Amino acid sequence: MAQSQSSEAKTGYMLVAPPLLYAVLLLAAPLATVLIYSVLTGENGAVSLPMTTENFTTVWTGRVYQAIMARSLYVSMLVTLTTVLLAYPIAYFVSFHVRPERKALWLFLITIPFWTSYIIRVALWRTILGYNGIIDSTLIGLGVTSEPLNILSYGVVSIIITLAHAYAPFAVLPIFVSLEKVDRALLEAGQDLGESRWTTFLRVTLPLSMPGVIAAVLIVFIPTVGDYVTPELIGGGKVPMIANMIEIEMLKKRDQAMGSAIAVTAMSIVAIVSILFVLLNKRFIGGTK
Amino acid sequence: MTFSEDKPVMIEFRDVHKYYGDYHALRGIDGTIKAGEFFSLLGPSGCGKTTLLRTIAGFEGISSGVIMIDDRNMAGVPANVRPTNMVFQSYAIFPHMSVAENVGFGLRRDPRTKAEKAAAVEEMLAMVGLTGYGDRAAHELSGGQRQRVALARALILKPKVLLLDEPLSALDKKMREHMQVELIKLQRQVGITFILVTHDQEEALVMSDRIAVMFEGGIAQLADPETLYRRPNSKQVAEFIGTMNFVPATILSEVGGKVEIEAKGLGKVTLDETQSPPPRGEEPVVGLRPETLTLLFPGQTTSERKVDGLIDEVIYFGDMTYYDVYLGGTDVEVRLSMRNVPGRPILDVGTRVEVAWSPEALVLFR
Repeated sequence: MAQSQSSEAKTGYMLVAPPLLYAVLLLAAPLATVLIYSVLTGENGAVSLPMTTENFTTVWTGRVYQAIMARSLYVSMLVTLTTVLLAYPIAYFVSFHVRPERKALWLFLITIPFWTSYIIRVALWRTILGYNGIIDSTLIGLGVTSEPLNILSYGVVSIIITLAHAYAPFAVLPIFVSLEKVDRALLEAGQDLGESRWTTFLRVTLPLSMPGVIAAVLIVFIPTVGDYVTPELIGGGKVPMIANMIEIEMLKKRDQAMGSAIAVTAMSIVAIVSILFVLLNKRFIGGTK
Repeated sequence: MTFSEDKPVMIEFRDVHKYYGDYHALRGIDGTIKAGEFFSLLGPSGCGKTTLLRTIAGFEGISSGVIMIDDRNMAGVPANVRPTNMVFQSYAIFPHMSVAENVGFGLRRDPRTKAEKAAAVEEMLAMVGLTGYGDRAAHELSGGQRQRVALARALILKPKVLLLDEPLSALDKKMREHMQVELIKLQRQVGITFILVTHDQEEALVMSDRIAVMFEGGIAQLADPETLYRRPNSKQVAEFIGTMNFVPATILSEVGGKVEIEAKGLGKVTLDETQSPPPRGEEPVVGLRPETLTLLFPGQTTSERKVDGLIDEVIYFGDMTYYDVYLGGTDVEVRLSMRNVPGRPILDVGTRVEVAWSPEALVLFR
């Protein structure tokens, strides 16, 4: 018995070994490297001793770093807000107003944006939002405006539009799942007890779907803070975010220690915000069961 | 059972129809429910009883007809302003709220102060036997407790009508019987009209002042429990409520409300018009309940009529024994029940016996 158990355990280790090795080499090792680099002295593309906290002091007190960090948070929060606000009605519609046998089809349709690579979608948004792009020529053609709006040049706005579109499916799904779990009898109970459809939504449906909303917030917020491609291609490099800053430090200034310190700082901020949301989620989950 | 006769009308149905697409769910419901009555909608699943309850609550619209509650036409009146509250089959306790928050859910627009509302919630919890449970989370409650919360939450709004959608079906047998009695007591205490939907005929008989038996979207019979049990108006109702033996019969004559029949194995009987519900064009049969038939043990005599029998099957139930008996040397088999009182033997299969019966217990279906 013990023999077979240990051999079973061996088989288990054998089976997890490849992904474990992969995780150690490609996730844990680089992460450890970044952590170590962040407390070393960087110069000319190399890092060396002695250990120092100076990188962090520079990152946390430098005006430019603070501004870019704040902008990253601000932009990703706006993206998250926009995405979740757009995703909620979609999820609600599919959950409450689509016939059960059609729901799978609707969810499938929501994944259509994923059929095209993100880079191509970014390029398409440039065409749509850009100077004399599709929006401009439509509005001019309709006589709404005579000058091109060139929304692309607004930087933050076009970043939000692009990212919200990209992350919408990720937000729709968790909200949809949490809405599906809401017992429909509870909505009738709400109305039976004197609430209108709208107030029943506010008092019953919305609080019960909060776990899904919080999951959506995390899923959108975490990757958008560190987004690199969109500010580069849509913002035209005029509105750099944390990832672009790291690139500048690492590759242009060749200061890997500073780049690492920014990366670690960004990770910490994201971690803190995420933990806050997870705690918030626990409060909602605590009441459900 | 004249409880309901002198009460004012609380709910009135006038030719209520409900279609779901081509499906005719309610087929011309007529009838009244009296104020303060414990009324049951009884029927097999799919008979429309829950649909009818939901049309009273306002969760379902009706395709035609009129539903009046307390002299007000309910057409176009949404569920949230109807003078009805519901105890849902699943109880529909809000999982993100405490017991007290659940009970006080409907008090949001109530002009009373916070403290007064809290006192009202406490009072309601005491009434359903949940004093001190206010701070518990909904998921910490047992099935019976959830049901009490659902009751308190509905009753705190002092509705004119309380609707109960199979409220006991999720409970085990002991708890169910206990809650049946509690519900009856509660109903007497608050004096509110209760409308109960159930598929359990025993539950309906135990709890109700009056019962509407429903089949296929229509009310087959609306009567008090005793009438329903003793004088069902159709074979279908008779079969649904309790056990009923059916004996083939031929109609000999019909004069001035009296019907003379020849029942196979029982012989000639003259029946009163109350024993002969309106004809439906079916093969005539007489129905008789197992407890109206009595086995005569050796030496016993009876003032009732009697017939020879042969025991075909014996089913022992502890307090009762059921005997399946062939009547009068025919192939007509009836089931009869005997209490197992001390000194009374359980008879064997194959024993020849005499069966006493009373003509007043018969009902003729034709």
